[in-house]
Amino acid sequence: MMEKGSHFDAIVVGSGITGGWAAKELTEAGLKVLLIERGRKIEHQLDYETEMKAPWEMPFRGEGNADLYAREYPVQRLNRHFTEFTQGHFVNDAQNPYQTGPDTAFTWFRSYQLGGRSLTWGRQSYRWSDYDFGANKRDGHGTDWPIRYADLAPWYDKVEEFIGVSGAAEGLPQLPDGKFQPPFALNVVEQAVRERISANWPERRLTIGRTANLTQEKDGRGPCQSRSICARGCSYGAYFSTQSSTLPAAQATGNLTLITDAAVEKIDYDPKTRRVTGVRWIDSKTKTRYQATARLVFLNAGAFNSVHLLLNSASEALPGGLANSSGVLGTHIMDHANTLSAAAIMPGFEQWTTFGNRPTGVIIPRYRNMDAMDGAGHTRGFSFQGGALQSTWTAGKREAGIGADYKRHLQKPGPWRMVLVAFADCVPRATNRLTLDRTKVDANGIPQLHIDFAFGAEENAALAQAKADATEMLTKAGGHVMFGFDRPGPGGTAIHEMGGARMGHDPATSVLNKWSQAHDIANLFVTDGAQMASSACQNPSLTYMALTARAAAHAVSLLKSSAI
Amino acid sequence: MTGWSRRSFLGAAALVAIHAAAPSGAEVLRRLDSDEEPPPHCRMLMRQVADLVIPDTDTPGAGAIGVGDFVLVGLAHGLEGTRLPPKAELAAAPSFAPYMRKDGSLDHAGWLEAKLGQDWLSQSPARREEILVALDAAAFKGDPTAAPWRAIKALILTGYYTSEVGGSQELNYELVPGRFDPKVPVKPDTRAYSSDWTAVDFG
Repeated sequence: MMEKGSHFDAIVVGSGITGGWAAKELTEAGLKVLLIERGRKIEHQLDYETEMKAPWEMPFRGEGNADLYAREYPVQRLNRHFTEFTQGHFVNDAQNPYQTGPDTAFTWFRSYQLGGRSLTWGRQSYRWSDYDFGANKRDGHGTDWPIRYADLAPWYDKVEEFIGVSGAAEGLPQLPDGKFQPPFALNVVEQAVRERISANWPERRLTIGRTANLTQEKDGRGPCQSRSICARGCSYGAYFSTQSSTLPAAQATGNLTLITDAAVEKIDYDPKTRRVTGVRWIDSKTKTRYQATARLVFLNAGAFNSVHLLLNSASEALPGGLANSSGVLGTHIMDHANTLSAAAIMPGFEQWTTFGNRPTGVIIPRYRNMDAMDGAGHTRGFSFQGGALQSTWTAGKREAGIGADYKRHLQKPGPWRMVLVAFADCVPRATNRLTLDRTKVDANGIPQLHIDFAFGAEENAALAQAKADATEMLTKAGGHVMFGFDRPGPGGTAIHEMGGARMGHDPATSVLNKWSQAHDIANLFVTDGAQMASSACQNPSLTYMALTARAAAHAVSLLKSSAI
Repeated sequence: MTGWSRRSFLGAAALVAIHAAAPSGAEVLRRLDSDEEPPPHCRMLMRQVADLVIPDTDTPGAGAIGVGDFVLVGLAHGLEGTRLPPKAELAAAPSFAPYMRKDGSLDHAGWLEAKLGQDWLSQSPARREEILVALDAAAFKGDPTAAPWRAIKALILTGYYTSEVGGSQELNYELVPGRFDPKVPVKPDTRAYSSDWTAVDFG
């Protein structure tokens, strides 16, 4: 355990997707780094306990104990990756409560363990474009990003080349190509739908999902085995996680100190120097309090928990919380407005099936509100993800029939279906915000997070247009649309919650500068989703990683020049 | 089904785990206190029902591999939403009311026994099947008084196709495919993969 008065060059709070990157970059630059994780230690390969199990080896056959889930995992169980196999990679909601406003429905999906949500993420990895970084300036929602694509492009290159992203180059300005490993193939239905969409709408492109699953061996990590059970943990190291990728790199430097089961409660701040000086945490097992000091602090606790920590680090000198001279800390949180726009039966492919489980779907990048403003009632974009799949025995739950003929029917691969799920840009709003509920505390006595969040007319209009477009595309592709929705699921559904400590030009209206560095506190960096000033309509994790690597390089240069 | 309560399955996780190793019901019962055992006739009824839904063909059926007991455990733990309250008008209906638990959920197993008729097990095999076919048809035509059957049937399918026999003999199972082939011809002997998790989750 940490000695009293331990000192580091840098402290990184959180070991998930961005925390691992911060630790890697800072240690590789020669800094002595303390990486603090609130959850338990999960060793790569050794601790993926259910990875190789079959359903019949599980107490509830992979379905899980619904009774237990209703009591203790009422939110996490709604995550599409949550199963009996993976439940150990998600928080117990009953033990990790949060509050929501009276008009807020927000499903906050969390993974408190070494590696955080890097173990359970969807792995979709997309660059953002200048349509995204320029969105706030163009339509006036939120505040302008202080960076553009050109600022981030080399960092995208660096991240993709290190983590391994498979995908197909398409030459689309709205979804810039990257440094890709070979793509997974479209299945026979998706290939046909791609061709039929392109024939009808040349500006719309269905392409394979760009995913952080290796298709070629890389740096001792094996290629994907097409199991598609990633959230159990992957001993092949075939998908990017902290454990498979950034943590080994950081540990190889000899500069990393890692502690787990350590919930950070406050960041220490010296009002005389206007610098943070270190962090304090509670050992979750012993409830003992510890602290360490550092020249530099990186917050990577996940967007909402990083904001929580800044708010909870309020002091006499900074009663509104750390880095909050603007008063906007906690505001303008976002999540993609997410819904199933259309599901269709796809006849004509019954003679074909597939082998293996591809760990990615397809994407149709945004095509609305690019150079022409053609959104009906909205000014931004939506993209579709989804894919074509065959039904199987579970479809029998919806069908009449018993007996031998029924059994033979369920033995065959079922009809092809195709689903298109919309992810719509979420407008940043001051009313969507995080605060502390000081009347309710967690098991460590720390005030709980309070979430106020609602989608508005922009998102509803985008999803209405998405439903109409998806229906039209699948119909023209030969499908029979069964159903679709035009209203978003609860906030958090997309698991892309972000914002709350936005980046901006002006210290009066934003928390961070263009280097993910607090305007108010030069040695404090926030490089997870909290820094986002807009949401785009594609998955954000790759951008968080690129911003983290960029911020780390900047921080190191400041440190080495004694500027901080 | 009187006397069989939620408490009956406090040790249900262990019960199911034992199933995996040894599908024999007798083996299960040895691990339970005598007052926690589901009544033998209840287990027999669910076994027979499961076997009619998925009978022996060139692979064993649901009855022989313990699916009936899996269904009882699943019902005790609320799989397929079976611990959620049914609609208020149904809960008060004569065919539901005697089987409502204190927590507002329906005792599906008790309901099924009554729905099939107290003498169902003593009927001829043909008559048993006839009665079950009628219940199944009613449930999937939207008859609300037959609706709980859909959850029971779903658990029978889950119990069977997630078993080693159902998952790896009746269907194919490949945990580590090693590759993705996007276009494979379907042949007369093609069987689906129980390890096609996307199909299982979203199909």
